[in-house]
Amino acid sequence: MAAPAIAVESLISGVRLSSVGPGEVTGTDVIHEPSNMDLAMKLHYIRAIYYFRSSSVEGLTIFTIKECTFRWFNLYPHTCGRFRRSESGRPFIKCNDCGARFIEARCSKTLENWLEMEGCSLYHKLLVSNDVLGPELGFSPPILIQVTIFKCGGMALSFSWAHVLGDAFSLSKFLNLLSQIMAGHQPPNSPLPKPETKVSKSNNSSLLAVELRSVKRVEPVGDHWITANNCKMENYSFQITDQQLEVLSSKLFQTAQITPFESLSALFWQCLASITEGSEPKTVTICRKDSDNREKETLISNNPIINTVQVDFSVAEADPKELAALIMEQKVDEKSKIEALVQQDEGLTDLIMYGANLTFVDLEEADLYGLELKKEKPVFVNYTIDGVGDEGLILVMKGLRNVSDGSNGGEGRTVTVVLPKNQILKLKEKLQKEWSIA
Amino acid sequence: MPPTLPNFSSSVKLKYVKRGYQYLVNHFLTFLLIPLMAGILLEVLRMGPEEILSLWSSLQFDLVHVLCSVFLIVIIATIYFMSRPRPVYLVDYACFKPPHTCRVPFATFMEHSKLINKDNPKSIEFQMRILERSGLGEETCLPPAIHYIPPNPTMQASRGEAELVIFSAIDNLLKKTGIKAKDIDILVVNCSLFSPTPSLSAMVVNKYKMRSNIRSFNLSGMGCSAGLLSVDLARDLLQVHPNSYALVVSTEIITPNYYRGNNRAMLLPNCLFRMGSAAILLSNRRKDSRRAKYRLVHLVRTHKGSDDKAYKCVYEEEDPQGKVGISLSKDLMAIAGEALKSNITTIGPLVLPASEQLLFLFTLIGRKLLDPKRKPYIPDFKQAFEHFCIHAGGRAVIDELQKNLQLSAEHVEASRMTLHRFGNTSSSSLWYELAYIEAKGRMKKGDRVWQIAFGSGFKCNSAVWKCNRTIKAPTDGPWANCIDRYPVFIPEIVKL
Repeated sequence: MAAPAIAVESLISGVRLSSVGPGEVTGTDVIHEPSNMDLAMKLHYIRAIYYFRSSSVEGLTIFTIKECTFRWFNLYPHTCGRFRRSESGRPFIKCNDCGARFIEARCSKTLENWLEMEGCSLYHKLLVSNDVLGPELGFSPPILIQVTIFKCGGMALSFSWAHVLGDAFSLSKFLNLLSQIMAGHQPPNSPLPKPETKVSKSNNSSLLAVELRSVKRVEPVGDHWITANNCKMENYSFQITDQQLEVLSSKLFQTAQITPFESLSALFWQCLASITEGSEPKTVTICRKDSDNREKETLISNNPIINTVQVDFSVAEADPKELAALIMEQKVDEKSKIEALVQQDEGLTDLIMYGANLTFVDLEEADLYGLELKKEKPVFVNYTIDGVGDEGLILVMKGLRNVSDGSNGGEGRTVTVVLPKNQILKLKEKLQKEWSIA
Repeated sequence: MPPTLPNFSSSVKLKYVKRGYQYLVNHFLTFLLIPLMAGILLEVLRMGPEEILSLWSSLQFDLVHVLCSVFLIVIIATIYFMSRPRPVYLVDYACFKPPHTCRVPFATFMEHSKLINKDNPKSIEFQMRILERSGLGEETCLPPAIHYIPPNPTMQASRGEAELVIFSAIDNLLKKTGIKAKDIDILVVNCSLFSPTPSLSAMVVNKYKMRSNIRSFNLSGMGCSAGLLSVDLARDLLQVHPNSYALVVSTEIITPNYYRGNNRAMLLPNCLFRMGSAAILLSNRRKDSRRAKYRLVHLVRTHKGSDDKAYKCVYEEEDPQGKVGISLSKDLMAIAGEALKSNITTIGPLVLPASEQLLFLFTLIGRKLLDPKRKPYIPDFKQAFEHFCIHAGGRAVIDELQKNLQLSAEHVEASRMTLHRFGNTSSSSLWYELAYIEAKGRMKKGDRVWQIAFGSGFKCNSAVWKCNRTIKAPTDGPWANCIDRYPVFIPEIVKL
């Protein structure tokens, strides 16, 4: 595949690097302690891309965007700090205002052409940074922002966000604050107050990762926070329209009382099980947003509800309704056990959650299209995650908007999968054949 | 307890003796005149009006005598008033306040250096040590082109920076003083390291549409002391041209001068120099004598360039790898001390009260005749000035001057805090320091200010200003929203 590789390199040019940070001085010796759940997620990275058409960004210069980010970072200056380790080895953030990396680039294609190409992870990586924290932890930015201008004037605004700072809901809420600042509204008083980080005391002091099904211990990574995979992982985004969802729920589940997340999760689980015959994923992890006490928590945090589902029958031959029912059922939340495990050894354990089992993440409630420029919503938003384990990850989020249509009309869903390369090809074929999903 | 008391009481006695001596010598003429006038008054009272009248008629004045005497007096008075130099007033000044998007925290500076200079960990280490001890704070600013990794110093970016800093300062000044650009008769711009064609002064004339008969000058290459050189030039021009306004713009453009090599002596400016500029309006119009903030009393320039070591101590050259940078020699502090001594020798007699000058004279005679090993007497400049603005060239410069002139921490506070908040802004730093003193509400009518600047060459220039009216703490200006945080304690070493 030499020819496409050459073409890929010529797609992006004019790359310039700089840094942006909080406009106000945070002060000396201010530190931020990540919670236990934050440290459990430290090997994962969220890569989010927001695509805007040219009318949304007319008159917007790089300088204007940078100026707004300076005011935006005043709200949560700890995201601009750098990691250090305390004497016990537990990582913390020194709020030294070092900043986020800011990358400017130009693309030789128009936005429409690009979106037609979009779906392939190779191209996704050009618009968002692939950096991870480490090997020099003290000099690695947790956030990297990239602004890519397309030939037609459209723009891709992307954020590479270390999961240790917060989950996808936190990121999308934080970005919606940026949207308010760019629209000229007064941001709330900065920095916003952080509640006490509650450290849960573990009853069972010898809790082992073995007892937890949702996370897996990996080889120690030291200060380079990324885990190696046994096979090459790629990502791909499927667009599922409202009509297709209706067809799904009527044919497979014969009920309308099912959320898109549950129906899509069940569908994908079954498809993957039939593809990987012999080594079906019998255990899956479901990751949702914790809707209770959301207001009490700080905006930027890791606050998921993590359940696992284990079956002993063949998933490929099972009734999808049964799978959906299992997914819907919320058993014991493993979050507190994970926190206790991390607390036990001061965050020195290296864990992965996404990809320890086949993981389904419900991002339906995230207001991904809330980041508006000049009162226009983005044309397309895609979130994916790096640092996913071999079992793979499936994200379900709100879908592509019609380019011509503003806020009304069907949303559909975007399903982004992170799977071993060979599984993706087979999955694409199967979904295309059986459900016309592309 | 008892052993310490004698020391205390003796030092108190000494203080009062010193005070008494100063009062006596400084007001010597008054002391001499008072008994004389008292004597005359007593005599007049004793004589009575008839005797005075008879004394007057006995002098036998006639009209010619009287007229001639009157003419003589008038001529002498006219010659005296005409030959006096025109007073030069500082109507107002404005300093550029960098936007927070140009902010460079220590951590960002170090991270960028590491990324740019991956192959030279020793240089990185050196820069880190400099920053830790520099006395700079986390709010100093570099121009946008230097924020890129690697920095992007194009001609266009340099002009962009010049336009940003100079036009902001001038806009601010014109607004504050209410004058129009067309009223400006003399324009002097100084910027040492960026000298495009057309010059920066032409850029100002173009932007503000100044008159075609404006007298504009552009000083380049003259170092950090060029601010006072520009004021000196403007003052000389104002002697020749009556009823004029002179606009002086002092700045340093950082963009083209970022050093990209590894020579330690040349890495220092990268760590210390920051973005800044000041615009000053001088006038010799009589009506400005009421609204002006300051009046220029003295300006003394000292040039040590005839000495080779002094000439080479701040030298722009190429390093062994061919990269251009400004090399600072290790003797810089010693040479600065020498230049300062020369300058003080000239300015001392002009500003010091008679008591200090006498003391200096006596100790000088004493050293020459009696005991050469005795320490030279350092005149107490605190008696001549209420405020000091020492060029914020670096922590070492301020420390050295504080020691040499025996100044207290409060006297050098303006310099240290300007270094902390704005870094070394080169020729404009003196104006940021003056703005600090005003922002703190310490400037009262009659206060005298001493501005000392050092620069390549090696030059030491001093200006003495007298405050014309008590200045209320301004609500705008570069210190407006951070003055309440100052003064801050600056530790010896800041842990990065």
